[in-house]
Amino acid sequence: MSYARRAWIVLWKDLVSERRSKETLNALLFFALLLLFLFQFALGDDRERLKAALPGLLWLGFILSGLVGLGRAFLAERDHDCWEGLVLAPGDKSAIYLGKVAGNLLLMLVVEAVILVLFTVFFNVDVAGHLAALVAVVLLGTVGFAAVGTLFAAMTANVRAREVLFPVLLLPVLVPVLLGAVKATEAVMLGEPLGTVARWLQLLGAADVVYLTVGILTFDAVLEG
Amino acid sequence: MSRALGWLTALGLAAGLVLAFGVAPREEIQGNVQRIMYLHVPSVLVAYLAFAVVLVASVAYLARRSEAADRLAQASAEAGVLFTGITIASGAIWGKPTWGTWWTWDARLTSVAILFVMYLGYLLLRAMIEDRERAARYSAVLGIVAALDIPLVHFSVYWWRTLHQPPSIFKPGPSTMPPVFLVVLLVNLAAFTLLYAWFVTKRARLLRREHEVFA
Amino acid sequence: MPDNWGFVAAAYGLAALVLGGYWRYLRRREREIYSEEATSQARPVGATAPSEVSPRDSQGSGGKAAARTGKAAGR
Repeated sequence: MSYARRAWIVLWKDLVSERRSKETLNALLFFALLLLFLFQFALGDDRERLKAALPGLLWLGFILSGLVGLGRAFLAERDHDCWEGLVLAPGDKSAIYLGKVAGNLLLMLVVEAVILVLFTVFFNVDVAGHLAALVAVVLLGTVGFAAVGTLFAAMTANVRAREVLFPVLLLPVLVPVLLGAVKATEAVMLGEPLGTVARWLQLLGAADVVYLTVGILTFDAVLEG
Repeated sequence: MSRALGWLTALGLAAGLVLAFGVAPREEIQGNVQRIMYLHVPSVLVAYLAFAVVLVASVAYLARRSEAADRLAQASAEAGVLFTGITIASGAIWGKPTWGTWWTWDARLTSVAILFVMYLGYLLLRAMIEDRERAARYSAVLGIVAALDIPLVHFSVYWWRTLHQPPSIFKPGPSTMPPVFLVVLLVNLAAFTLLYAWFVTKRARLLRREHEVFA
Repeated sequence: MPDNWGFVAAAYGLAALVLGGYWRYLRRREREIYSEEATSQARPVGATAPSEVSPRDSQGSGGKAAARTGKAAGR
């Protein structure tokens, strides 16, 4: 069975099981909506202050819901005793990693799209003008998030205190992605061309490459048991 | 051998202190509080050395599953966290009289703070896994990710700060220093490196004996 | 600018506390391991273990003595 096919099968399995149960997606969407309320109540009535904080709030929303979603990434395998299935799977385990990353990426992108729409509605953000640039930035940031998040989720899945250990390990590592994504999003929302934040985009790209590479090379070691 | 290293370390630290307080002249602008530099800068440099060693040991462990590499990684991470903590504390104490505030989100302090939290997480992960082999494997992966993240953290934090704020006047670091300052700094750096080496040697050896005895 | 020696003392003092604390931690672990080594070596097959006879006193002093000789022999 080819490498790509194995990755695809993992992705397909996750998508199908998610489509059947819709547990994670529904809960995440609801969570996103609640976050919006939280941001509004926390930052209060000052329209200007809220508007200035929007890029940061957007990525806060992405990260918080991403943490919740990723935290459940290997739930099915762990709860239903499928971990051995992963461990005993033949061939290069990194195919499983890529399949998992793809699945998580898709899930996160869907949630992020919904959050974006909610922001447009509730906070009166004008996205239409720079949608393509925004999509590019969100994609760059989310790929890195999904790549290292999937690796750490697998690592903490069978560890004591995993609910707190997972974000504690992930968040410091994600700081460069957060900084780059917020800065780039800021520029996009101000209508500036992407060229002005080229170095941030390069940083995001570099982070994506680093995280994916390390994930591919080390997933074997994580899955051993 | 470790005994010789221990005595050498003590000697180095003593020499460093004598130089820092007896030989190094009083700095013009900041006064004697600038002497904290001889503690702060060597600490951060040794911390980076420690985490570089964690990276190498982690890769070595994953490649060869050598338990010695794992013990080295753990010992070096502990020392690294120690020195990083000292860096942050001494930086804050130095900052209060010179910058007027305990903490500022300047590039250096912020990236060192992130470093601190990352490797504290490393030690936490080790503490949460009972099975020694799994702890070794997982922390090796984390050690590699964290180390590779360091340059990313640096660039992102530096760009984040310098695009908005001019660098402050009092930069706690060797910019253009007259030679005597540099010499005292280097001696202290050597002393701290010896201390690091001694800590790591002792800790790694303890870990090995621990694993034999409490097997 | 005034000299702020207090801050200098605080910084160096804190560093000394932290590093000294770690050194004491290493020494304490070493002692524990040596005493554990000594008691597990000193325990012949079938005889009562030292820990079963007046647990606190004999274990403590026996362990320390063994640690000292162990240390001298080991180094």
